[in-house]
Amino acid sequence: MLCNEFEDQLTDYLDGALEAQANRDFAEHAMRCPVCHDLLSEVKNTLLACSASEAPFAGTGLEARILLKTIPETAITCSDFEDHLTDYLDGFLMAPLYHRWERHAALCVGCSELPGAVVRAIGACYTYKQDELMVPAGLEARILQSTIGNVLPREIRAPWTSRLVEWLRGALDPIVSPQLASVATMLLVSVFVLTNTVSTDGSVGGIYHASLQLAERAAGNASKSSALPKEMKQFADSVNDVMGGKEDPVKGNDANRNQNTSNQDGAAQGMKKSTGQNNPKGGNSNQDNR
Amino acid sequence: MGAANSLATNESAELVRRCRAGDGAAWEEIVQTYSRRIYNLAYRFTSRADTAEDLTQEVFIRVYRSLSQYNPKQGDLQNWLMRLARNLVIDDYRKRQRAPQDEAADDLEDHQYHLRAAGATAQREMERRELGVQVQGGIDKLSPDLRTCVILRDIEELSYQEIVDLLKIPEGTVKSRINRGRIELAKILRRMRVVEA
Repeated sequence: MLCNEFEDQLTDYLDGALEAQANRDFAEHAMRCPVCHDLLSEVKNTLLACSASEAPFAGTGLEARILLKTIPETAITCSDFEDHLTDYLDGFLMAPLYHRWERHAALCVGCSELPGAVVRAIGACYTYKQDELMVPAGLEARILQSTIGNVLPREIRAPWTSRLVEWLRGALDPIVSPQLASVATMLLVSVFVLTNTVSTDGSVGGIYHASLQLAERAAGNASKSSALPKEMKQFADSVNDVMGGKEDPVKGNDANRNQNTSNQDGAAQGMKKSTGQNNPKGGNSNQDNR
Repeated sequence: MGAANSLATNESAELVRRCRAGDGAAWEEIVQTYSRRIYNLAYRFTSRADTAEDLTQEVFIRVYRSLSQYNPKQGDLQNWLMRLARNLVIDDYRKRQRAPQDEAADDLEDHQYHLRAAGATAQREMERRELGVQVQGGIDKLSPDLRTCVILRDIEELSYQEIVDLLKIPEGTVKSRINRGRIELAKILRRMRVVEA
């Protein structure tokens, strides 16, 4: 094969279009002839480079121009662009409007630099804020003079009565908080109901006394029953001791006996009789103990 | 001092309690802690040192008289105090807008600037001072409504909702004014070459 025949068949060889014999002759010539070998290598590299190369990035400008030409109704005006600038910077712009806004920024010469300028203006405000002015000399003294009437406030000491009032206000503050108001109301209502129903004399002490009488009756009933275990009897004795106060055991037992008798007479009688007649000293001593 | 040194809630509640009792030292501490921040707030709205001083004094007189209304459970002292100060400063600003005065704003150069960067060079300090002058100048050029919203949002750093509560206008109006104010300020500062394109 001659060199000019090699050049003629070069493209067919690279395309794989040569017949088997012609392909072998071509390859054999490429091995023997250094000039044709270099030519083959050079053409192969050039083809690779061509296939690897891409057009430069068109950017948003091209896309924006195409969309402006094809669907001009989606373009926004400069006024709309400015109206949505803060939303864009804050990241609150919805996707469809976001892309239209960015297309306007890419195309409009007057608006393209505005977002950057706004960001720098906000930055300038923050920098300005960092450098605070000093308070002019004498201003604080004038404020003190106009409020407490003295430029040497350390000479003004709070009187002890005012301090006490403020301390009490601080201490009472949790009590008057709204969360506790309902609890306090419920407590007052329950005390009112109990003093009018349970208490014999309408006082808070009467509630306490009545509850002790009820306990006494229960203990008396328990000790009356022979079937009760020893522990219950001991409990009844201890309740009687409490009701008897510091009285001697004999008197206390007598009181218990009387109490049992009155309990047998009736529940309605029991409370008043045992309190008012049988053991007045015991009742008083309970109140004293409380 | 200022915001960086604001008092803890418990500490401020105790200070207020002492103030109510008539302790002068406690009131002095409150004045020293918050006077700078309130003075700066007043200055940004008025652009005049003497007016800002009068306004700061007025705020503290109002605060002193209202100390009995302060409740630590409803927020710390700084928030309560600044809310009161903003209300007063904005009321005053609105009044002055209704009655225009012929006095020009102060030159910010007249004031001594507090520069926090201890190691900043003289050149850097000058640049910062110059920036402050220009930004205040740019803010002064905004219309009153836009100016109020830009100061509250970008300098006082209030949220949209806080501005709505303070100015008692709809949220949409607040957002619109902030947006318009920022754009106007950016254009002004660009013309002044404070921010380059």
